[in-house]
Amino acid sequence: MKYADARAAERRRGAVLAETEEFASIEKRGRMDLPFLLLVLILLSIGVVMVLSASYASAYYEYGNPTRYFTRQLAFAVLGAAGMILVARFTNMTFVRRFSMMALMISIGLLVLVLFVGSVRNGARRWFDIEITTIQPSEIAKMGIILAFSVMMCKYGDALRKLKKSTMRRFIWAFVPFALVLGIVVILLALEPHKSAALIIVAIAAVVMFAGGLDIRLCFAAIVVALIAAVIIVGMAESSYATIVETGGGDYAFRRIVFWLHPEAEPTRGGYQVLQSLYAIGSGGLTGLGLGQSRQKYLYLPEEHNDYIFAIVCEELGYIGALLILALFALLIIRGFWIAMHARGRFEALVATGITGMLAIQVFLNISVVTNLLPCTGISLPFFSYGGSALLMQLAEMGIILAISRDMPITKAG
Amino acid sequence: MKKKGVVKTEQTGAVVSRVFVLLLMFGVAAFGALAWKLFDIQVSRHGELQAKAIEQQTRESVVRASRGTIYDINGKALAVSATAETVYIDPYMLKLNGEDAFAIATRLSELLGVERGSILTKFENTKQRGLPIKRKIEGEEAAAVRQYIVDGKLTSVYLAEDSKRYYPQSSLASSVIGFVGTDNYGLEGLEAKYDGYLTGTDGRVVRLKNVAGTDMLFSDYENYFDAENGCDITLTIDSTIQYYLEKHLKQAVADFNARAGAAAIAMDPKTGAILGMVSLGNYDLNAPFDVSAEVMESLAGLEGSEYSDALAAARQLQWRNKAISDTYEPGSVFKIMTLAMALEEGLVNESSTFFCGGQLDGVPGRTGAPYHCWKTAGHGQQTLTEAVQNSCNVAFINIGLRVGAEAFYKYVEAFGFFNKTGVDLSGESASIWWTPEVFKEEDNKTQLASASFGQTFNITPIQLITAVSAVINGGNMYTPHIVKTVTDANGGIVMNAEPSPVRQVVSEKTSETVREILENVVSHGTGGNAYVEGYRVGGKTGTTTDTVKEANEGVREYKVSFCGAAPMDDPRLVVLVLLDNPPPIEETGIYVSGGNMAAPVVGRIMSEALPYLGVVPHYTEEEAGQLNVSVPRLEGKSEQEAAALLDKTGLAYRIVGDGASVTDQLPAPNASVSPGTKVIIYLGGQRPDIEDIIVPSLMGLSYSDAKRALENAGLFIRSVGVPAHVSGAAVSVQSVQAGNKAPPGAVIEVTLIDKSIQGQY
Repeated sequence: MKYADARAAERRRGAVLAETEEFASIEKRGRMDLPFLLLVLILLSIGVVMVLSASYASAYYEYGNPTRYFTRQLAFAVLGAAGMILVARFTNMTFVRRFSMMALMISIGLLVLVLFVGSVRNGARRWFDIEITTIQPSEIAKMGIILAFSVMMCKYGDALRKLKKSTMRRFIWAFVPFALVLGIVVILLALEPHKSAALIIVAIAAVVMFAGGLDIRLCFAAIVVALIAAVIIVGMAESSYATIVETGGGDYAFRRIVFWLHPEAEPTRGGYQVLQSLYAIGSGGLTGLGLGQSRQKYLYLPEEHNDYIFAIVCEELGYIGALLILALFALLIIRGFWIAMHARGRFEALVATGITGMLAIQVFLNISVVTNLLPCTGISLPFFSYGGSALLMQLAEMGIILAISRDMPITKAG
Repeated sequence: MKKKGVVKTEQTGAVVSRVFVLLLMFGVAAFGALAWKLFDIQVSRHGELQAKAIEQQTRESVVRASRGTIYDINGKALAVSATAETVYIDPYMLKLNGEDAFAIATRLSELLGVERGSILTKFENTKQRGLPIKRKIEGEEAAAVRQYIVDGKLTSVYLAEDSKRYYPQSSLASSVIGFVGTDNYGLEGLEAKYDGYLTGTDGRVVRLKNVAGTDMLFSDYENYFDAENGCDITLTIDSTIQYYLEKHLKQAVADFNARAGAAAIAMDPKTGAILGMVSLGNYDLNAPFDVSAEVMESLAGLEGSEYSDALAAARQLQWRNKAISDTYEPGSVFKIMTLAMALEEGLVNESSTFFCGGQLDGVPGRTGAPYHCWKTAGHGQQTLTEAVQNSCNVAFINIGLRVGAEAFYKYVEAFGFFNKTGVDLSGESASIWWTPEVFKEEDNKTQLASASFGQTFNITPIQLITAVSAVINGGNMYTPHIVKTVTDANGGIVMNAEPSPVRQVVSEKTSETVREILENVVSHGTGGNAYVEGYRVGGKTGTTTDTVKEANEGVREYKVSFCGAAPMDDPRLVVLVLLDNPPPIEETGIYVSGGNMAAPVVGRIMSEALPYLGVVPHYTEEEAGQLNVSVPRLEGKSEQEAAALLDKTGLAYRIVGDGASVTDQLPAPNASVSPGTKVIIYLGGQRPDIEDIIVPSLMGLSYSDAKRALENAGLFIRSVGVPAHVSGAAVSVQSVQAGNKAPPGAVIEVTLIDKSIQGQY
C-alpha cells in the first residue's frame, strides 16, 4: 500500500534525522539568542512594575497590604527567569521530541484529572490548588499540543501538503490524528468549561499545522468558515439584542457580543468592564497620567492587575508608552519567528513557531479585548498579568525558544 | 530575513516561508491594528473618555459660603450665621449595601424626633442619593448622629454642612431685618432685599474618589474653588433706640388697644438715617412662622384650607412692615408741610392772625355742610403759632387756600410725597394723591382745603417722617436709608451710604420758624403730652379717620399719630408714632387723639433716647424742682444723719421703731422716686415681712391722687410725661397694671398726660 510505504519512509527519515541531531547535540552548542532574551527580560521587568502599580489599590482595599500582589509576582518572575535560563541551557530538543507524545498524554491526563479534583472558581473547574499557587492544566495542554502537533506534522506533514483526489485517502488518514487529539482536548476544556483556552489551543494548533505545510487551500477554507461562523454568531447575538437589554438575561456568549458592540446599553452591568477599560485607556491620552497615577485602578476597573492590566498601562503611560510596549512585543514575536525560521530542524522550527504563535495570539487577543476590538474573553497578557504559575510556564516556553536558538546553524553569524 | 549559509531541506524551506507569513501576520499586521485602535481610543477619543472617567472618579463637595452678618450701627450683631448640619439618607447605598432601613429609621427617629414612617417612606426611593431628614441640627444632636453613623459603619446616612441663621436680639427690629428660609435665602426684610450681598458664593472641592465613594489613596488631585463669604451689612439702626421704640410702642398698643397694630420710626433728621423702625406685631426672627398665642386661639375653630389661609394671612400681617407698607391719611401732622410752604412763599408770618368760628364756609366747590374745625366752638382769633398749637383746621384751610393749588402741589411733590422715598427696604408702598388736573380745578378748592389739614390723600409713615425731617433740618430732603455700609469678607467697603441732600425744599429761615412753632405745640399746645423735662421737644399731633372707609362703610377707624423732634434748636432725633384703630372713647374712656395717645409715646421714647444720644438736658427752675430723685442709702446712719440727707435730697420721711440707727428703708437705696416722697426708715429690728401688695388702679387720677393712693397701699410713685403741676395732668399709663402685685415699697411709674384739651386734633 502506498500509504504504508509512505509511513515506513517517514519512519526511516525520522530515524536518520534523529541520529544526526543526536550527533549535533554532542557538538558544542551555540549561545542563546541575546535579542530574544533581552526582549523577554525587558517585558518581564515592565510587567512586574506594572503589576505593582495596577494592583496596589485593590491589594490595599482587599488585603490591607498594597504590595501583596507585587511581591508574589516579583518572586515568580525571578524564579521564572532563572527557570528560563535553566531550560535554555539544559533542554535537549532531541529528547523533547521523543517526549512530545508523552507530554500530550500527560496534558490530557491532567485535563481529565482537573475535572475531578480541580478547585472551582466562578463556576468553572480549571485549577489545581497546590497551596503556594494554582496551576491551570490548560496552560500545560497548550504546550502539549505544540509539541505533539510539531512531531505529528514532521511525521504526517507531507501527506497533508496537497489535497488531491489521488491521495485523498492518505490525506484523510493523516488528518485524523490531529482532529482526534484536538477534539479530545477541546471537549475536555469545554467540560471545565474553559472556552478561551479551547479557542487559543485551536488557534495554536492551526498555526503549527499551517507552518508545518498544511494545504494552503484548506487553510483559506478554514479561515473563510471561521469568518462565516463568526458573522453568523454575531448576527444571532445582535438579533437577541432587545431581549438581552430588556431582560438583563440571555445567552452568556451572546451577551458578551452584544455588550462588545453596545457597551453603553448597560453601563453599570454588561458593558461596565468594557467602558471602564475604555475610560482608563482614553484618559491616558498621548502621554498618560504618569506611572502609578492611574485612577481607574481604584476599584473602577475589574481585573485591573490581571486581564485588564494593559488598560492601566495605557492610562498611566499614555499612547506613547503603550506603543513602546506593543513594539517590544512585536519585536519579541518577530524574533521568535525568526528563530523558528532559522531553527536546526523542522521539529524545532515548528515548536518555536507554535510557542511564538501562542504568545502572539495571547497578546493580540488580550489587547483586542482590552481595547474592545474583540468581545470579552478571559485571556491574560503574557509577562504582565498577575499569576504565578502562568508566568512560570510562559518563561519556561521562552526558555525552549532560547534552547532552540542555541542550535541554530547560523548562531555564530547571528 | 534570508541569511546566507542557512541549510534548507525541502521541508524546512516550506516551513520558513509559512513562518514568514505568520511573522507578517502576527508580528506586523496584528500590531498595526492594535496601534490603530489604541490611537483611536487614546488620541481621537481622549477628551470624551477622559471627561466620562473624571465624572465618575471625582466627588464634588460644596463649601458653603458663610452668610454675612447684619450689625447695628454700634457693631452689635442682629443676624449671624453659624455652622449647622443637615442629616441626609442615601437610599441607593442602603439598597446596595443591604443596610437595615427599619433599624436606621427607628434610631434616627429617636435621635432627631422625626417620624419613623416618613424616614421609611423616603428610604423607598432607592435611586436617590440624598434626601434630607432633618435640617440644621447642631451640637449634641449632630454629634449623636455622627457617632451612630461611625458605630454602624453606615453608608446610607450622612451629614452635610449647612448654615443656620441666628438672630441674637430675637424679635428686635424683626420687621426690618426679615428672615431666611431653609435654603438660607432671604425671604423678608433686609435679608431679602440685600440677599445678593449677604449670600456670597459657594465654593467647591473636587476630590478623586474610589468606587466606594471615599477618597483615593495617595491622591494629589484636589481642586479648590474657594467660597466667597457673603458681605456684612452695618445698619443705621441703633439697637438701643430700636429697643426704646419697641418697648414703648408695645406698651402703647396694650394701653390703648390699637387693634390694627402700630408703627414707629426714629430718624436722624440731618441724614435720613433710620435709627429705629418698628411695625407691630413683632415676631421672633428665630421662629418667624410662629404666630402669637392669641392668633392661634382665634384660629382654633377653623379647619382645613380655611385654617391654613387664616394662618397665612396672620403671618403676612405679622411680617408686614407697616412703617413703609401701609398708607394712611396723616391728618394734622401734615399741617407742618402746609405751614412750611406758606412760610416759604412768604404768605404768612409769625404775626399773621387767623379767626376760627368753628366752621368755614365759602370754599369753592364745597356743597352741603361747611368745613368744621375739630373744636366746634371755634378757636377765635389766633396768631399763626397759636393756630398750629391749636391744630386749627379753619386756619389751615385758609393758609392752604392762600398757597393755592399750583404751589401746594409743587411743594407736595418737592417734599417727595408723589414718589416712593427709595428707602433701602423692600415692600415700600406708593402714595395715593389727587391727579394734578383734579387738584388744580379752578372752581373746586375742596381737595386743596382738605389736603391743607392732611386729609383725602394717603401716604406712608416713611414719607411723612422724611418730609418732616427736611422741614426741621434746614430744608434739605434726604433719601431715608437703613444700611450704612456693606463690607466684604475681607473688610473692604463695597457700599457706603453717604447721605447727601437730594434738594432743598424750604430755606433755613423757614425751617427755624417751623421748629419754634412746633416747640410751642409741645410746650403750650396740643402736643403737651410729648413733653420731656429738660429737653426742647417739638412736634405735631394727628388724628384721622379713614375718610373713604367711613363714607363707604360707615365704619369709623381712627389713626392717631404724633411726629416729634428734639432738641428743637438743633434736631438730633425725629420720631413718628402711629397707632392704628384704637377703640372709641365709649369703650375705653380714653379720648381718641394723637395728642392723648401717640404724643406720650413719643415723649417717653425721647426721654430715654435723648440722654442715650448724649443730648444734655437743660432744666428750668420749675422743672428742676419736679425732677425725680434717687433715694440715698441710709443703713447704719443715725436718725439725725438720715433726716439731713433726705432733706437735702428733697424727700420726706416717716420713722418706724425706736433704735439708735437705721436698719432698713423703703424704698430701697437708689430707687428713683418723685420729689417729696415719704421714705420709711426702720430704726432697730427687721423690717416686718409684708406680703406683696396689689397695685390699685391709678388711671385718670391726678398726680396727687395717684400719689396718695399708692402711699396708702404702701407703694411709691414716680412720674414721667407732662409735669405734675400742669392742671389737667392725669395718669394715662402705670408701670404695673392695676390688680397685679408688687413688693412692698416698690416704685410705680405713672405717665401723666394733659387731658385738658380734648378733641380730634
